[in-house]
Amino acid sequence: MIQFQQVSKRYPGGFDALKNLSFEIQTGELLFLAGHSGAGKSTILKLIAGIERPTGGAVLVNGQNVGSMRRSSIPFIRRNIGLIFQDHKILFDRSVYDNVRLPLDILGFDGQEARRRVLAALDKVGLSGKEKLNPVTLSGGEQQRLCIARAVVHRPAILLADEPTANLDRDYANDILELFRSFHQVGVTLVISAHDESLMADYGRRILRLKNGQFTA
Amino acid sequence: MKNWFRQHWLAFKRTLGGMLRQPLTSLLNLLVIAVAAAFPLALWLVISSLSGVAGRMPVESQITVFLRSSATEGEIKALRELDGKDARIARHRFVSRDEALKEMQQSTGMGDLLAGLPDNPLPDAIIFTAKSNQAETLETLQKELAVKAGVDEAQLDSAWARRLERLLALGRAVFDAIAVLLALALVLITGNTIRMQILTRQDEIEVSKLIGASDAFIRRPFIHFAIAQGLGGGLLACGIVALALWRLNPAVRELATAYGQQFALTTPGLVSIALVCAATTLLCLFGAWLAVWQHLRKLL
Repeated sequence: MIQFQQVSKRYPGGFDALKNLSFEIQTGELLFLAGHSGAGKSTILKLIAGIERPTGGAVLVNGQNVGSMRRSSIPFIRRNIGLIFQDHKILFDRSVYDNVRLPLDILGFDGQEARRRVLAALDKVGLSGKEKLNPVTLSGGEQQRLCIARAVVHRPAILLADEPTANLDRDYANDILELFRSFHQVGVTLVISAHDESLMADYGRRILRLKNGQFTA
Repeated sequence: MKNWFRQHWLAFKRTLGGMLRQPLTSLLNLLVIAVAAAFPLALWLVISSLSGVAGRMPVESQITVFLRSSATEGEIKALRELDGKDARIARHRFVSRDEALKEMQQSTGMGDLLAGLPDNPLPDAIIFTAKSNQAETLETLQKELAVKAGVDEAQLDSAWARRLERLLALGRAVFDAIAVLLALALVLITGNTIRMQILTRQDEIEVSKLIGASDAFIRRPFIHFAIAQGLGGGLLACGIVALALWRLNPAVRELATAYGQQFALTTPGLVSIALVCAATTLLCLFGAWLAVWQHLRKLL
């Protein structure tokens, strides 16, 4: 489903975030990316979503080369991807409901169906009954869940999560990972980055360890 | 298709709602556009009103040739015979100095003054009427007549009408320049307003892009805002001009009456209102499009 072919990424200024990486992610796989900050985890996620372009090699998503894709085609790739951001990127000028609804507006969903899906997504992440609140009133963990609800509301085939458990205590982090596992069980391909490997170990999935833009054993 | 309309309708409602939530800001924005549009509109209405007057004026194609007092019978005869020889002349009328004096005494009420003069100061004159009323033809004819033997002076009677015509042409040129400048101003004003809006909605734009919004989706609310601004500004401009003319016209009418003319400045009609609104809307759209394009092209 996702293929990296000798991918390099050098940021303006000369920092090499990724050095000649090749790997493949199967459809329906749950993959962890591990490594310290600056190791290149976020860059991999950004390349998959077309947020950054590689400076070398090819990034294929469903057989399409995202790296060399026309700017106007990138939105259509992203609609198949759910993004969970480290900094949540929640909009505080609107309610919890309207935050989750945004992807559906972009896709042009109708009122009734959209409402049903938003409420279902909020229920799934455990935010039922909070849809009318302003996100400012939510706790950090709840904001993370809101971000997850927004990422899954349009039922994407791929879910990319950048440090979803950072800044959360262990129990809360486990809850979030359980949530991801339930998405995995219904066939979603997941790529999750984290610097804390102890959490991943419990799940016994494939882990790609990164250091300075390269894989370590 | 239905979905497309629905999306636009929803976005438009949101835009209007946003404008109503900040009534003062919206009104100021509208006023800026209205004032910029009102100026060329007013100028245009004045020019076209005056053009109407100029068009109603009979364009005289008469040339009055005043003869020297020393002109001989033969010279006068040669001049009068031009009517027939010269293809440009339609007819002529000879006005002797005695007739001219009589006409003047009757028409100007200066009879007493003229009667007091020791002798008649007026020259003999021949009034030629040309077939054409083209300015150039008339001018050449006038110049030719002026240098004929026995002629003191040849006057083109329609000169002042053509001066007005030229003044109006100048007015139109000024209008063109001002219209171009203010059109540019409208584009810049809307572009800047939209740029400010983009800055306040940067988070929303960024998140929408990341979630898979197309450029069109992001552009939509700004485009709607620009349409609302352009339409509103155009209508307001027409209102301002109509109000100004309504205040001005009594004075203009009085002035015209003093010159024996029936004249008033035309207020904007439906066609001009439609044209003004179309122009402001298109210019605002262009400004908004530029601003959004400028912002989006930096985002991947």
